[in-house]
Amino acid sequence: MSCTVEDELTAYLDGELSVVESARVRTHLANCSDCRATEALLRRTVTELAALPAFEPSVALRRRVLAEVEALPRPWAERMRAWLRPGVLAPAGVALATAAVVAVVAGQRVVSDRRTELAVAEHYELLSDYEVVGLSQDDLDVVEHLDELQKEGRP
Amino acid sequence: MLRVAAGDTAAFAALYDRHHRSVARFAHRFVQDAGKAEELTQDIFVKLFRHAGRYRATAKFKTFLFRVAANHCLNEVRRGEYRVTHVPEHGEEGQPVEVAASEAHAPDRAVEGRELEATVAAALERLSERERTAFALCRFEGMAYRDIAEVLSASESAVKSLIHRATLSVARAVEAWQSGARSPARSEA
Repeated sequence: MSCTVEDELTAYLDGELSVVESARVRTHLANCSDCRATEALLRRTVTELAALPAFEPSVALRRRVLAEVEALPRPWAERMRAWLRPGVLAPAGVALATAAVVAVVAGQRVVSDRRTELAVAEHYELLSDYEVVGLSQDDLDVVEHLDELQKEGRP
Repeated sequence: MLRVAAGDTAAFAALYDRHHRSVARFAHRFVQDAGKAEELTQDIFVKLFRHAGRYRATAKFKTFLFRVAANHCLNEVRRGEYRVTHVPEHGEEGQPVEVAASEAHAPDRAVEGRELEATVAAALERLSERERTAFALCRFEGMAYRDIAEVLSASESAVKSLIHRATLSVARAVEAWQSGARSPARSEA
């Protein structure tokens, strides 16, 4: 077969040629018995191939494929979405908020203690004096009536 | 497919249900063996799930799917993981070929169908891998030349040549069977 048009015959049958190319092939077929025979053979074969029984995969294949896919590590995006589900996000949010409140309160207490320490340090001398002169009411009474007590000969 | 890329297994199951027959049929044409075809199909769909993120919505899904399928089949066959099973000559026993239920009442047609199937399978075995891929996608999946070119990363004119050579080769084999092996057997029956 030396016809160059022969290479176009399958595409012609498959409707893959342009209108102009198809017209050229049709004109050639009208004048070339070899190409007509080849075109008939191709057409017959294509029709027979379409009628061949198709391979049907088993139902078990579906189970195997889905099981293997389920066993794969989840993609990053899906894991993130799982974390952002309301059922997970709400309790996590509450826990986070509670932790934040505890941290703030504890922090304030630490700051408060620290301020007290600084105040003590700042007024240390005064406080020391207060400790020295920090007398009870009985002591103050004794001091007040010290002269009288001395007159009475009491120590 | 975008949901599959996000790891949605329910969307993947729907995708599998819609396309698994095409992929299994394609794999079966490649290796001519039911068990191996199912193994390849499983690998292809798992690969599809794992690499779903590479899919771009601008591409036809079927083209993307068969690009994955064709690359996997070609790679596995080249690696020697799967060898194209030898197809017995016409009339040999033990070749599992699915027969449509309607053919159960037409034994002659069923036998003829199995013989034609074996003839086509033997002819496919003699084709190059790219010819076989292009032929299977065109003849059994009905894909357009343009889409096959995308699957094979080839030009449309290259695909036209691949499909023509493959179809002509199979046609010659079927013609030889029809004029030789089938005619005497049919006349004896």
